Amino acid sequence: MSSTITAREYFQNVWDSLATTLAGMKITGKYLMQKPITVQYPDERLPIPERYRGIHYLEQEKCINCLACARACPIDCIEMDAIRHGKELEWVLFTLDYQKCMFCELCVYPCPKDCIHMGTEFAFVSYDRSEFNHDLLSYKGMSREARIRKREADIKKAEKEAAKAAAAAEKAAAEASESESPEEPAS
Amino acid sequence: MNLMALEAATAGNAFTELLGGIAPEGTPTWALWLGAAGAGVGILVAFVSLVAMFSVWLERKVSAHIQCRYGPMYAGGWHGWAQTLADGVKLLLKEDMIPLGADKPLFMLAPALVLGAIFGALVALPLAPGFFFADVNMGLFLILAFSSLTTIGVVMAGWASNSKWSLYGAMREAAQVVAYEVPLGVSLFVPLMVAGTFSLTEASAAQAGWFGMHWFIFQNPFMLPAFIIFFIAALAETKRAPFDLPEAESELVAGFMTEYSGIRWSFFFMEEYAAMFLMSAVGVVFFFGGYHSPLTALFPEEATTGLLYQLVCAGTLIVKSFVGVFVMMWLRWTLPRLRIDQVMSMGYKYLTPLALVCVLGAAIWETIFA
Repeated sequence: MSSTITAREYFQNVWDSLATTLAGMKITGKYLMQKPITVQYPDERLPIPERYRGIHYLEQEKCINCLACARACPIDCIEMDAIRHGKELEWVLFTLDYQKCMFCELCVYPCPKDCIHMGTEFAFVSYDRSEFNHDLLSYKGMSREARIRKREADIKKAEKEAAKAAAAAEKAAAEASESESPEEPAS
Repeated sequence: MNLMALEAATAGNAFTELLGGIAPEGTPTWALWLGAAGAGVGILVAFVSLVAMFSVWLERKVSAHIQCRYGPMYAGGWHGWAQTLADGVKLLLKEDMIPLGADKPLFMLAPALVLGAIFGALVALPLAPGFFFADVNMGLFLILAFSSLTTIGVVMAGWASNSKWSLYGAMREAAQVVAYEVPLGVSLFVPLMVAGTFSLTEASAAQAGWFGMHWFIFQNPFMLPAFIIFFIAALAETKRAPFDLPEAESELVAGFMTEYSGIRWSFFFMEEYAAMFLMSAVGVVFFFGGYHSPLTALFPEEATTGLLYQLVCAGTLIVKSFVGVFVMMWLRWTLPRLRIDQVMSMGYKYLTPLALVCVLGAAIWETIFA
């Protein structure tokens, strides 16, 4: 900082300060008129890429409870349980612990039925840690269709069994009559 | 000022006349005067609060949009208009903290003094030909005196806080205001020479007519530089960026109001925005035609005493002043803060001599052409 300046420098300073201020105001004014680039988040969202790895979703009807995903998980955060009734499944639980999950997508690849996917939902907020042990099931127990199918299968099975029993009874009766008939001439 | 002079000053005042109409016969004049003063104080407090509320909202919006953001959007529904209200409630509910080592009476007095000085300055501001608190014939002098009184409050706050940040802020404020009072006052001599009066009411009345025809800024080639000097000095006077060294949040936490919280802090905040409004209103009155606009020029001569005309005039002055406030905000979000030596050299080496040159030139111009 030199303490003495020439008259030329003095007026140059005055001019510079005004000109640069106006130049700066022009720039900020342009930004002021521009539409803001912020997204009003909860109301509107930026498009999420298709292959984004967010919270999982499960196509429960397709799932066969084979445990392939649970075995593939490197940190064992998937836990599943179902009771098998013939071909139908009665779901007990299918939980994914998001305190552990690292969204590696390794559970998706081994699925033989292609029924577990990574979704696009990323906002997962909770007041309690236990809520992060997230249940992926959309229903517990059996689905309506499965129940109908099971009932039909049961009826068929019962019919079959009845038919079988009837046949057995017939056979038994026939056998009995056969064994009786040779006796009859004897008596 | 004795009581007689006060009565004379408030003679044409709308409140005294209104109260005189309502009050029973034989009410002593001092009672009328007291009533008018009470009503005036109430209106002033409401006015300053509303101005501060709107300015804070405007500041947030301007700063947000300059940074390509939206700013407050939710409170109140429409573009967050009630955000300041919510903040005000929050500030009222905050704990009132006074530091242990602080000078308690001075600490408590400082915000009141600062805000009171702004109320005092606003008394002389005519919003419309018949809407003023007092027609002070030295109005401009009164406004400048009161607005420098806020500095006393700021220095008081800085000293009483017993904190190094506060003290530094207060010292900077003192140095800055001493440096910029001079160009502020001197640059206002130029319109004063054209107006020939210190009274804001008379200066406003002298600029009647169609758009800009009789505005002081076009009366004299030295008016524009004088206005620029006035505007820069007013920025420094109101502690606005790029002259916000007393606050300097990046170096001094919050400067002189570091130790303040809650409602006392919000007094300083209200003072800042009221002072911005006041300074741009003074600029409007002495450079940009006061309450006159094409809209007010549409009124025929006989309608100029009506209430509608008064309201349009007041609206015009408020809108014009807020344009000035907006430019102050625009500058704040454009320029970085100056260094203290730059502030000093700008005040003493540039603004003061240039303002004196303007006064000289305007004096010569007025002698020759007017």
